[in-house]
Formats: sequence, C-alpha cells, structure tokens
Amino acid sequence: MTVELGHFALVLALALSMVQAVLPVLGARRNDDRMMAVATPAAFTVFALIALSFAVLTSAYVLSDFSVQNVFENSHSQKPLLYKFTGVWGNHEGSMLLWVLILSFFSALVAFFGNNLPPALKANVLGVQAWIGTAFLLFIVATSNPFARINPAPIEGRDLNPILQDIGLAIHPPMLYLGYVGFSVCFSFAVAALIDGRIDAAWARWVRPWTLAAWLFLTGGIAMGSYWAYYELGWGGWWFWDPVENASFMPWLAGTALLHSALVMEKRSALKIWTILLAILTFSLSLLGTFLVRSGVLTSVHTFATDPGRGLFILAILVLFIGGSLALFAWRAQTLEPGGLFQPISREGALVFNNLFLTTAAATVLIGTLYPLLLESLTGEKISVGAPFFNLTFGPLMIPLLAAVPFGPLLAWKRGDILAVAQRLMLAFFIALLAVAVVLYQTSASGVLAAFGIGLAVWLMLGALTDLALKAGIGKTSVHVMLQRVVGLPRSAFGTTFAHFGLGVTLMGIVCTSTFATESVLVMKPGDTVAAGGYTLRFDRIDPVKASNYNEDQGRFTILNSAGREVTDLLSSKRYFPVRKMQTTEAGIKTFLFSQLYVSLGDPGKDGGVVVRVWWKPWVTLIWLGAVVMMVGGGLSLLDRRLRIGAPAKARTLKARVAA
Amino acid sequence: MVFWISAALLTVGATLLVLLPLTRRVREPVSDNQYDVEVYRDQLLELDADEQRGLIDHISGEQARAEIGRRLLKSAKAAEADKAVVRPQKSAMREWLTLATVLAIPLISWGIYTKIGSPDLPAQPLAERLSRPPDQNTPAELIARAEAHLTLNPDDGQGWEVLAPIYLRIGRPADAVTAYQNAIRLNGDSVQRQLGLGEAMTAAADGKVTPEAEAVFKHALQLDPKDMRAQFFIIDGWMQQGKLTEARDLIRKLLVEAPADVPWREQAQAALTRLDQEISGDAPDVSDVEKAGPDASQVEAAAGMSSQDRAQMIENMVAGLAEKLKQSPDDVEGWERLVRSYVVLNRPNDAIEALARAKKVLSADKIARLDGVAEDLGLKGELGDPEKD
Repeated sequence: MTVELGHFALVLALALSMVQAVLPVLGARRNDDRMMAVATPAAFTVFALIALSFAVLTSAYVLSDFSVQNVFENSHSQKPLLYKFTGVWGNHEGSMLLWVLILSFFSALVAFFGNNLPPALKANVLGVQAWIGTAFLLFIVATSNPFARINPAPIEGRDLNPILQDIGLAIHPPMLYLGYVGFSVCFSFAVAALIDGRIDAAWARWVRPWTLAAWLFLTGGIAMGSYWAYYELGWGGWWFWDPVENASFMPWLAGTALLHSALVMEKRSALKIWTILLAILTFSLSLLGTFLVRSGVLTSVHTFATDPGRGLFILAILVLFIGGSLALFAWRAQTLEPGGLFQPISREGALVFNNLFLTTAAATVLIGTLYPLLLESLTGEKISVGAPFFNLTFGPLMIPLLAAVPFGPLLAWKRGDILAVAQRLMLAFFIALLAVAVVLYQTSASGVLAAFGIGLAVWLMLGALTDLALKAGIGKTSVHVMLQRVVGLPRSAFGTTFAHFGLGVTLMGIVCTSTFATESVLVMKPGDTVAAGGYTLRFDRIDPVKASNYNEDQGRFTILNSAGREVTDLLSSKRYFPVRKMQTTEAGIKTFLFSQLYVSLGDPGKDGGVVVRVWWKPWVTLIWLGAVVMMVGGGLSLLDRRLRIGAPAKARTLKARVAA
Repeated sequence: MVFWISAALLTVGATLLVLLPLTRRVREPVSDNQYDVEVYRDQLLELDADEQRGLIDHISGEQARAEIGRRLLKSAKAAEADKAVVRPQKSAMREWLTLATVLAIPLISWGIYTKIGSPDLPAQPLAERLSRPPDQNTPAELIARAEAHLTLNPDDGQGWEVLAPIYLRIGRPADAVTAYQNAIRLNGDSVQRQLGLGEAMTAAADGKVTPEAEAVFKHALQLDPKDMRAQFFIIDGWMQQGKLTEARDLIRKLLVEAPADVPWREQAQAALTRLDQEISGDAPDVSDVEKAGPDASQVEAAAGMSSQDRAQMIENMVAGLAEKLKQSPDDVEGWERLVRSYVVLNRPNDAIEALARAKKVLSADKIARLDGVAEDLGLKGELGDPEKD
C-alpha cells in the first residue's frame, strides 16, 4: 500500500505542478494578485508530495521490497545499508526523481524566502520553475517510472553496479544535481524578467546567491566526481575529458561566468541583458549535461539504461526549453532597460574579459564534446576528441584568463588604472618569476612548461593574497590596525580571495601531477620491491577476503622510507561481485602531505606474481583541495548577506585628489 | 481501501491548499516599482554603513549615492504612475480557472494513476515476506528463508545438505559448491556429497570438468569404486582436455565390466565409436575420412588393444545401429553414420546395400543429402538405382 501512495503522490505532484505552471503566470500578465498567490502554496505542496514519494522509494530500498522493479534491478538484500540509501539515485529512474526533488525543493525555497520579491516576479519565477518541473515529472511518469511493480515479487535483487557501491555515490550525484538544478532558479529569474519585460532592482540581488550556491555545489560535485574516478577506476587519472565530465564542466564554466557577471549586475546595475543570456545559457548547458548523461547518447558508467524513447523525450525537453528561452530572449531582450556604462579598463571591463574567455572556453568544450557525436550520427564515422584537442584549445584560452585574474579585484569600478594595479602586483609577479626560475634550475630544460605552470599558480595565489593585503591597508597602517581591518572586512572580500587562491592551488596540483608523476607497471611476487617518489613499495601477499556481497583479493603492501624503515602498510584489492559478475579495482592510496602513492592491482601473472601499477603523484591532492578552497570562498560570499553596492571611481581622479 | 482513502485525502488536501489563495482577498496590492524603491533605499542605507566602516571612501560614496538616487527617483515616479493600474478583484476568468483547477487536479492525478498504478499490490518488504508461515511462501522465498537461517546457524549441516541440490537445480552452482563444501565439512564425507560437489563445480565452470572437480570425482571413486556417475564425469573431463585415449580405455573397461542390459550401454558405445574415430583421425568430417582412410594398422596402434577386441566392439556397435534403423528408419543421420561406418570398416557392399535400403524409406530431400554423402565417400559409381518394388 505505502509504495503505491508514493506513486500516487508523484502523479499528484505532476497535476499540481501543471496548475503552478499556468495560474501564476496568467495572473502576472493580468495583474491578478490572487492568481499569482497560488504559486507559493503550490510550490510547497509539490515539494511535499515529491519528498513523500522519494521517502517511499527510499524505504522500499531499505526494506528490500523487490516488488518494486527499480529496487529489484538495483538493490540486493545483503547490500550494506549506506548503499541501500544511495542506491536510490544510483540508477536512471531514481536519479531523475532526485532531480525533480531538488528542483521542487529550490522552488519551495524561493517561495519561502521570496516575500520581499515583487509579486509578479515571484509568480513568474515559480511558474517557470513549474514548467521545468512539469516537463521532468511527465518524463518520469511516461518513460522512467521508479514505481513500476513486479508481481510476483522476486526474492532477491540484481544488486547495484559495483562501481557505484562507494561513498562517492552518496556525495557526487546529489552535489552535482544541486548545482545543475540550482541554475534552474537563475534560469527562471531570467525567463521571468523576459516575460515581464522588466528587470526588477531585486533581480540581481536574488540571482547572485542562487548562482553562488549552484556554483558551489557544482564545484564540489565535479571535484568529488573527479576524485571518485581517480580512486575507483584504478587508472590513476583525475580528468579524462570524457564527454560525461565535460557535460558537468560546461555549466561550471558558464556558471563561473554568470557568477561574475551577476556580481557586476548586483553592484553596478550593468551587464543586465548579458547576465540574463548567461543565466539561460548556463541552465541550458545543465540540461544538455542531463541529456547527454541520461539519454544513453554517451555510454559510460553513468548510463544506467539506454532507451531511445527516453532520449527523444529528453531531446524534446531540451529543444523546448533551450530553443524557447533563446527565442524569448531574441524577442524580448530589447524591451529590457540596458544597464550602466563603464570604461574598458575597469572592474566591469575585467569581468567582461573573464566572461568572454569563460564562455569561449565553454563553447570549445561544447564543440569538442558534441562534434564527435554529430559526426557519428550523420556519417557513422567514429572519431575520438580526446585530451590533445582540449589541451590545444582549452589550455591557451585559460592562460590569459588565469594571468588576468589577480588584476580583476584590484581594478576600480567604472574606470580603472591598470598601471597602478600592476605596480601593486609587482611583488606577487617577482615571486612567481622566482618560482619559475627555481623550477627551471631544478628540472633543467625539460620542465619549461611545468615551470611556467607553477609560476602561474604562484601568481594566482599571491595575487589573491595581495588583494586581501591591500584591502587591509598594507604599508599604510600598523600591523595592529591592519589586523583590525582584516577582521572588519566583509565576508565577500574573503570569498574572492579564497576562490582565486583555490584556483591557484588547483592549478598547482594539476601542473605538478601532470609533469612530475612517475608510473611503473611490473609483475611483483611476494617480497619484491619497487621505488616510487623516494619511498619503496614492498609487495607482501594476497589475502582472499569474503564480504557480504563480494569476494575480494586484498593485495598487501608495505611502504618503506629511504632509510629502509617501514612507514606504513597499503592495501589494494580487486573485488568480484557475483550477482553482477563484475570486477572492480580498489586502488591503494597513501597520502604523504599533498602527494600520493597510488597502487592498482592488476591480473595475476603465470608464476604466482601479480601485475601491479604504481604511481607517484606529486601534490595531486592540491587539485581537489583547491576545489575545496574555492567552495569555502563561495560559501563565505554566500554568507555575506549585505546588499552589494559597488561605488564607481570618480572621473578625473587626479583632479579630485588635487582638489581635496 | 486504506490506500484509496489516503489518496483521496491527499488529493483534497493538495487541491484546497492551492485553491485557498484564489478565494482570499489580497491585502492592499503594491506596485512592482515600489519594491524597487525599497531596494534602492536599502542600498543607500548600506552605503552609509560601508562608508562608516571605511570600505568606501567619501568621494566614491558620493558618486554611488548620486547613481542610486537617480534610480530611486525614477522608480518612485513609476510607482506613482502604477497607482492608476487597475488590479482586478473580481474576474470571470479567475472564476473559470478556479473551477477548472478544482476539476483538473483530481482528474489528472486519478486519471494517470489508475492507468499506470497498481493500487491493489501491497508493499512487500523482504523481512516481512520471510516471516510469513512457510506454507504461504513461494519456493524462492523458502530458499531465502533457509539462507537466512543458515547465515545465523552456519553449522547446521543438515540445512546445507538440503539446500545444496536445490541450488544446483535452480541454476546457482556457485552457491551449491559452498553448500556442498559446508555439508561435507559438517556431516562428513560421502559419495553423494562428493558427487554433488563435483557436479556443482562442473556446472559453475559452465560444464567444464576442472582439475579441482576431477579430483573431487576421483575422491568419490575412492569411496565407492563402482560409482558410474563419477566415472562418467571423469571421462567427460578427459575428453574436454583431449585425453582421448584415456577416455576411450575407461569407457571400454566400463562396457566390458557392466552387465549387458545397463541402460547407458548404447550411449557409451556411441561415445566409444566417436572417440575411436577421433583418435584415428577419423573425425566425423568426411574429408578427413577420405584423407586418413581406414588404415587398420594405425587405428590398432593408437588403440593399444587387441585387434580382435576392437573389431568385435565395432562390429557390435555397427550391428546395433543397423538394428536401430530397422526399428526407426526415418533417421537420415543414422543412415549416414551407418554408411560411413561400413566404408570405414572397408565393407563397401554393405554400405551400398544400406544406401539402397535407406532410399526406400527416406523422403526425397533426405535422399539427396545421403547421395551427397555417398559421393563424398566415393560410393557414387558403384551405386545403381534403388530397387524399384
């Protein structure tokens, strides 16, 4: 009975969502306050119903109710409890339910906190949210119903894909979806403004925190996904330019651009129309990401099921929302009032520079991702656009952007003085040059690229710190006053510093790992040793172990330091899951400060030995630590609930200074 | 019933929540531009605060204040103008939409649900299913119950013993292996358990008699040297490994030792013939037959047994086949085999006679096929038209 109540709640949510999609928007057009007021309770009710539905599905998983097809196909009674929870979204149907759950949750948040929004804006935003919700609920009910039943019920399930039986599944998809779906709010605000033909003063104040929150989660989701792939797939790589990864990376690039342009819009009322377009593009890329991953166009671990009907449905949703919103933009954009003016060399100008490069980068990734797909569907020819393409296109785009990052926060609003800013950044620049020189000296000519990469990372980090130091008034006041001022700085100032610093940290990790990593593949017998990154790895033995739903061959290793003393032990294993007849590799990873020793167990050799891959990954954890630092920056900025006003620099500053 | 009541309550509740605002009067409506005015006012206050905190210097503050002030004035003017906009309190359209909503929510939800839902199917959590009285359980559930019991009492040898053959029958050989191993560990060694274990191991390897399984069968044979099943599995394994001579010798020994009327005799003899052919290079492939030819000395050398025994055995087999074809003549493969055997035994006349007999009973397409075989075997020229009678 309870299972069916969840099923019914889902269908009822669809019906209510349709009401929420129609009445408030009509009300806003007719200035009818009562019709607009429907949006708020509708958003709450839809969220409550979907939450009920999700809870019912979760309980079916936890109680191993195999009369639910979805549970039968993706669960197993002997599965550890955590994976019974996470298994709910470790499959196509459940993950779509999670998607709409998050969407309805965000709608409910807008409804709850939106009392200070103009009623028409609120009604339109919630209406557009309901359009998205209705489309996805229809999709779920028509093609991907998680509540399909089996009678008679099987006694045991088919288990969850072993690769997904990992703590990563508990974090990566929810975070990624919070990011993807978070941008839906920005999208709804943009479309609402286009429908209404006006941009309210509160618009940017609302869009920026939503962008920040979505960006924060997306950053975390991508970083977690990257780390998960790194330790689970056993290849030691952290980014593969795989289409599925690109699918999440494109909205991140566009979202980062949106974050900065929304900043200009909130503080300076400039770049309004551009921001609206970016909001549309960012969510469009999120939808595209969902489409690419969910439709089965791309086959990967993320493709839980392939079904052409679903693909067509998602394609229709895609065309409707992306095509529709862009058409609406083309039609209505000129009715919007353009924002304030500024000179090319100014904080606004720097942010436009950032936007141009980020959107171009996103477009590059888009081409690299879609071109092979299009070519294959048109001509049947299979080509692979891999790392070389992206290194040649994406890389050169990033270098000027990253080099420019420290300048941005130091420039004044409206009109800036680039020479003055350059002077202030001198110290950071020289230290970065020093870093380049040191690396070149240490590695000889082979490390030229690495040296410049590290220099760029140092430049980014020091540039971010310079900004903070200048805000504290370095060189102008005593240390005591400086500290006081630092404490008094708004959180968003720290947010900028952290985010830009984190970018440098990530870059440092990427450069160091890519250039200085060592790899060895060899057959090891018990007692054999191999050197890696100043340590020695000794293979001890293989222990067979039986767990509740898999058998495992645990390879036991010991790590010795340069003096030959045992430092720690390391466990790397191969697991066999009998239900799915699948094998997974559990890489053995030991972290030494920021570097990692990564051991992946291969197949057993003929003479009792086993193939072992050993990587030394210098400073690899910085890649993800940097992302965490960026997230902290985003969080700090999000917590700063002041109104943001950017004061413009006065024209002819010199004259004003003389006059003063 | 409980479900329908709950569903109805959900529907009514949801509909009411949405409808409430449609019937309730909204307090004095405020123009959107008035909201802008409020935002700009807040911004001005914030600007003062920032200036006091020293985040913005005085000159910049003045600039910003001027900018915001301009926007504020503009919005305030627009808000004043908005007061003239009529906001409908009564609206025919709204009333129609209210009615439509009241109808739409239950119609859509119940319409879709009754089409796709299974309202009568109760939830079936596994623990609850397994705690029902056993006579209400399906076989699968009974197995699951036994498994649950054995997880808690892993030393119940009897339980493993019962479960093991069931696993094997329902196609879970890997579990059957574990179950048999546990049964042997707990209940002691026995031919039946060893046989089951070996069989399960073979099934788990997709029918391949692995060296481990062979060892198990050999162990079973030590317990009961007369056991036929163990020997058959061993023969099977040898054949898979290509130890054809060993396999053939064992079959031969079994055939000699066994009473004349054992049910497996015919099958064993067929296997023996096949093995003989393969060993001598006479694979069923016809071209091979031609190439190698029925070289008696070769066959004999490979056989490693007295030619008398061997000839006798083959004669027996061929006679058996001929007899069988008398009983059930519509068997083109049987005829084919018989003709081939005669050729291999260098008895062309018998071969031709067999062909003629076959042609009397077989249909045209089967005769054509047989003719093809005859031609391959070089019988064509010697074969006249079938007797017409």
